This record gives sequence, structure tokens and C-alpha cells, in this order.
Amino acid sequence: MIEKAQTRIPVKLHRNVALVQTEDALLAEELLAHKKLAADIVGRLSDRVLLIRPGRVDAVVQELRRMGHTPSVL
Amino acid sequence: MKMTHGNTDRWTQHIRHTLMRYDEALLRQVAHKLCKPRNQWPVDELLERLVSAFDNAAMIDRRLKDMPAACRQILAVIGQSQQPRWPVGSLVEILVCLGAQDGLAPLVALLESGLLLPELFPFGTPVDEDKISGRSKLRNFESWLGRSEPMPMLLASPGVSKRVASEELGITCPAVKAAKDAPVHEADGLDWPLRLAVLWQQVLAAPLRRTQQKEYFKRDYDRLRTDPLLCAAPTDVLAAVPDPGFFAAALASASGLLHEEQSELRAGAWPAYWKGSLPTLLAEFWTSLSRVNSWGPATGHAPSDGPANPYPSAYLLALLLLSRLPEKSWTTPQAIEDWIAARHPYWLGKKGATLGIAAFLLGVAYSLRLVQATKSDDGWLVRLSSLGRWVMGVDDKPPTLPTFKQTLLVQPNLEMLAYRQGLTPELIAGLSKIATWKGLGPACTLQLEPHSVYRALEMGESFASIVHMLEGHGMKALPGAVLDSLKTWSNKRELISIYSAGAIFEFASTAEMNEAIARGLPAIRLTDRLAIVANENGIAYQNFRLTGTRDYTLPPERCVDVEADGVTLNVDLARSDLLLETDVQRFAEPIPQTSVQPRRAYRITPASILAARQQGVTMNHLETWFVQRTGLPISAAAMLLMAGPDAAPIELRRQMVLHVANEHLADGLQQWPGTRTFIKGRLGPTALVLDENDIGLLTERLKELGAKVMFEG
Repeated sequence: MIEKAQTRIPVKLHRNVALVQTEDALLAEELLAHKKLAADIVGRLSDRVLLIRPGRVDAVVQELRRMGHTPSVL
Repeated sequence: MKMTHGNTDRWTQHIRHTLMRYDEALLRQVAHKLCKPRNQWPVDELLERLVSAFDNAAMIDRRLKDMPAACRQILAVIGQSQQPRWPVGSLVEILVCLGAQDGLAPLVALLESGLLLPELFPFGTPVDEDKISGRSKLRNFESWLGRSEPMPMLLASPGVSKRVASEELGITCPAVKAAKDAPVHEADGLDWPLRLAVLWQQVLAAPLRRTQQKEYFKRDYDRLRTDPLLCAAPTDVLAAVPDPGFFAAALASASGLLHEEQSELRAGAWPAYWKGSLPTLLAEFWTSLSRVNSWGPATGHAPSDGPANPYPSAYLLALLLLSRLPEKSWTTPQAIEDWIAARHPYWLGKKGATLGIAAFLLGVAYSLRLVQATKSDDGWLVRLSSLGRWVMGVDDKPPTLPTFKQTLLVQPNLEMLAYRQGLTPELIAGLSKIATWKGLGPACTLQLEPHSVYRALEMGESFASIVHMLEGHGMKALPGAVLDSLKTWSNKRELISIYSAGAIFEFASTAEMNEAIARGLPAIRLTDRLAIVANENGIAYQNFRLTGTRDYTLPPERCVDVEADGVTLNVDLARSDLLLETDVQRFAEPIPQTSVQPRRAYRITPASILAARQQGVTMNHLETWFVQRTGLPISAAAMLLMAGPDAAPIELRRQMVLHVANEHLADGLQQWPGTRTFIKGRLGPTALVLDENDIGLLTERLKELGAKVMFEG
């Protein structure tokens, strides 16, 4: 018996995206309220997901550490 | 590259790829001496016969037997050094010390017989066979040996050097009687592993920067010269080690704990040998000493010594001499130094030169647990320790060291005591990740700190693994306050995750995203249609049909059309990206979709612009956005909306307008002195503005010209 082949799922792929995902929306708000950090955030995909300006991920990590956060870099 | 028997395949590959780089004539010359083929075999077959000859012990023995004694001796010395890769210069020095008249001739003979190999590419690196061109092939050994930069390096396969392990070197070490029942001193071997651990922490935080001449920048030079932990005198040492901070950096670099990157020494992952026993680690340090070129036992930090450094051969000769001592016999370090001074070509003729070999034996070698010492009336006497005997191949097995697993005492104030006798390389590496070294002594002190715990978490540890390590080696249960702090710090880190280069999958619907994840896409959901994968390697792309791909390392793509009204923006979804979607919504409102075309539309409105201005969107930003995304300058309508509040007040006023038949007449009225003072402005090619009070005078002037004037109404 020939099994029905699985259809390919249409998808748009965004490569090399840098983003911050926070545990809750309040923390994301806190980050956006930080002027220096907000300059490197170019958008918000959801209440917990912030897009980082391309090429600025190291600056964001450093700024978060300066703010006392301990981001887990994946 | 340690000489172990576990990497036979790598050696076979390396031998094959080295021989492939020989010119055909040279290959046949080597084959003639090594396996003596009776027929004229094709090159490929000859190569295979040569490679397989290295596995033929009987054949290797026959060839070695036919070679001069110096050839066998230098191979035996390389075997005993546990280090198969040596600079030509060091091997020549050793041969001269062993009595050879010409130190180079035995090496050339071994190269021509295939029993030594020139290092034509780094051992263990992948080789692209297609890139071996005819011009790059090795034609003769003389010209290759004659080069100075980089220094030619020779490799001896362990399979060859072990065949001459028992070769007599013709050297003896003068034995000295020690006092009966004199106490024997032996270091615990932990001093340098601990200093390297301290250095690793410091370099991880701030790499060591070096000039092109391999000298450290001043800040780093001062760090290595004055750091209280790196530069403190070793706890158990019989002679001073000059510039201990620089020696630690040189040893860490040579042993792979630090690596060079863009003129900086940086710390990274702990090499695998740190997971082994202490003897294995110390043996690795011993072999690494042959690669330490920027430090010497006489002068300390010496970055300019470079390839002319005589110490790699001198260290090996010193331990070779000690290995010739009868068991339980002693000698004086000075006797070893004198023996080397009398024979080593680097110091021959330099009367009164300080070699530093005696200091090396009582300092570095003693603290690395390679030698034991006892006190005599005339000073210290030395001999190989059981570890030294194993390292030099005198004993087959490494010494068994007592183990004390429970060696940590963690205190409620987050200070930790680590008793040295229970420390292992793996524990030192583990502690270095989670805590900061504060003191090195019989009991070392460490401090658990937020940043040290974060460092451990970033290097792959978890709250559970940290607690497991501390409890597993703890002499007492972990205090509650410590557990709470570790938990708080670990949890805090879970609050923010950063994807530095993730791959986001954008699905048409939630159902399709669920289906993809059900098929094994290792993704984390971000929204109802977006999911991210941290590493693209694990993605089965055969499950997907890509409707568009966007790389965020590339400049933004043009994917927006502006309609004639200047405020309606149509987005081409196949070419758009997440940056556009989020950016455009800052200043435009989405228009509900009415067609089935894959386009999304937005409209700039006074309200959306007002919101944009409140969010900090500037005219400059909008102008750049239009150029990047539409390929056109900002539309006039968008500019009007954006600039509205900043524009000068708009004035409404009544004006008298003079209409003329053509623009030449209008130009004439503006130019002729008789009328130009009455013209206040020009609205268009044929429309001029007048002051109502001037109408009478202007009418008279126009009548003088003979022009008719008509009034509205």
C-alpha cells in the first residue's frame, strides 16, 4: 500500500533574525522603556518578543547585562 | 597532539596526505629506501605501499637497523618525549648533545627513508586533495629544511618511534648519595593547574592583547606581572619561578587553554584533557613545555626568543638524563645543568651563561610533580618522581593518586574552601566556571557570585548541575542561603532569552504551524503564526515549501508600492520581512484585505502619524524608510502629514489677482520699472498679485501703454 505523501507546508523563512524573548509582557515593557535599549529594538512581534536591529545583538546583550539582567544567549 | 595509540587512523591519514605532497621523483626515492619495491609501480599504488609499510613492524625494524645509531637515538628521544612534533632546530641540538658531529645529517637520512615526516600541513586538519598542485609539491628535503620562517617541524609516527624505545642513548647521569632517611619532597602538582584556572577566569573577562612582536599591551603586561594570585610564590617550590604570571600565560597558550585570535589570547572551552586524571593533565603540561617560546627559566618573560629558543631541547635533555639514573638514586640539579652547558650548541662558548636548568628542575619541573627532591649538605638533590618516570617512559603506568572526593566546604556567606588534596582537573575546571578564585594555598578559597554563576550557566551548566557538583564534593550539606542564592540567580537568567541569529518560520495559519511542529520542527512558538529555531542545522527542509526567504544580515529589500494618493502603501508579502511589518505599523494603519492577492496594505493617516510622532518616529526616519522600502523619496502627502504640526502657520487672505493673456505679458509687468513696484507676487504663468490700493495707479500706467483693463463683474 502506498502511503499518501505528506504535503509540503508553505512557509516564509526569515534567516539570521535577532530577537529578545522575555518571560512576561511587563519585562518587555521595562526593556522598551529603557532609552538606550529601545534604540536597538526595531519592533515587537508579540507582547513578549522584541526584534533587535540587525548587527546590534552584542550591544543589546551588553546593555541588558549593564541593567543587571542575565540574558541567556541562544 | 600527544603520542597516543588511539589516533592510529589519523596518523595513517596524515602519512598518506604528506606523501601525496611529495614530487613523484622524491616519492620514488623515499619508497626505494623504505619498502624497496622491485617493480616500477604506478604512483598511486606506490603511495599505498608506502603507507602500509608503516604498519609493517618487521620492515620498519629492518630499515632502522640499517640506519646510523644517531638516527635511532633521535627517534627514541622523540618517542620518550611523548611529543611527536619537534622543530628541526631542537632535534639538531639534542643530536649534538648526544655526540653527533653533524646534527642535521641523521634527520635528513630519516626524512629520505620516510621514517621522519616533514610537517607540510597541521596534523589532524582536513586536507583537500584537489588543491595539491604540481607546483606546491615537495621536491627535495634540503631546500625545505633550509627555510627559516616558519621554522620547519618534523613528525615521527608513534608506530616508528616505539620500535626504538630501548635504544641506548649513550648518556649517563652522575649519581649522588643522599643522606639516609632524608625526607623526600614531592609537590602535589596542583600549583600550575590552579594558576591556569585563575588565568582562564581573568582572560575570559578580558582577553590578553598582544602586539605583532608578541609582547603584551601595557595593561595586560601589568596584569600578568602584578596579579596577586598569578604572581604569588608557589606554595611548594624549591626554586623561584621567574615571572610566574607570564609562565602561566605561556603554558595556558601552549596547552590550548587559551587560544590566539586576532592578536589576542582568549579563553574558551576547557580542553578535553582537563576531564582526565591529574597525571594526564601534568603529562600534557610537560609536552606543552616544548611549545613555550616566550618564557625561559633563567630570564622569565622573553617574547623575542621565538624559534631560536633552546629550552625545549634542554628541558627534554634534563629529564632524559634523570631517566638514566638508577631507581632511587639522586643527582644534583647543577650536574644536569653542567652536562647540558658542556654540550648544548646554544650555550657552547658562552662561558658563565646562566642556563636556568637547575632552577627549572627545582621550580617548574618540581611543581609539575615531575621530579622529587631531597636535601643534602650541599643543597637539593633531585630524581624523577613516579609521575616523571611514567612521563619519560621508564614506568608503564601512571602513579595512582589518593582520592578525596569530599573536599569542598561551602559557607552560608557564599565563600567556599577547596582543600587541595581532593582537587582534580575536572573539579578545578568546574569550580572555575561557577565561582571566583580568591586565594590559592593549602586550602583554596573561592566566592560564589551572581556573575560567576551566570558564567557557568552560559557555559552550559544548570542550577541542578551546579548543586550536584557542590553537593557531590561537599563535606557538609549546602547551606539553605547558598541554595536560595543559586536558585535566584539561575531563575533570573531564565527571564530573558536572546536569539542572536535565529531562523523564524512564518506560517500562513496556526494549524500549519502546529502541523510543522508535529512533524518535528524543533521550534519555539513566538506568535500564532511565527516560530523560531535557534540553529538551522536541525531543520528537515523537505517538509516545507519556501514561499519567500529573507536574510536579515542583508540590507532591507524594496517591497512596498505607494499608490497615487501618496498615503496607501501596498506590501509585497513574498519580499517583505518582519522589520518592515513592525516598522510600517508605527506610522500607518492596516487596511482590511479585500483581494486574494498576496499583498497587505497600510494607509498613512493623520491619526497614525500622530501616534508615530509620539513613539519617536522622525521625518528623517520616514524619509529613509521610503527610500529603502519603496525606492522613491517620501510622498508629498506623507510629508504633509508628518510635517503638518512643524510647518509655518498657513495664512488665509484676500488678494487682487491680475490675469494677463500670456506669460510674456506677465514677465513684462514684473520687469518694467513703471509697473513692477505694484506687482506683489506671482501665482502662476499668467496670474499676478496686486495690492488693492495700487489698482488706480496701475490702471493709469496700463492705459499709458494702451492696454485695456477689465474688472471682474
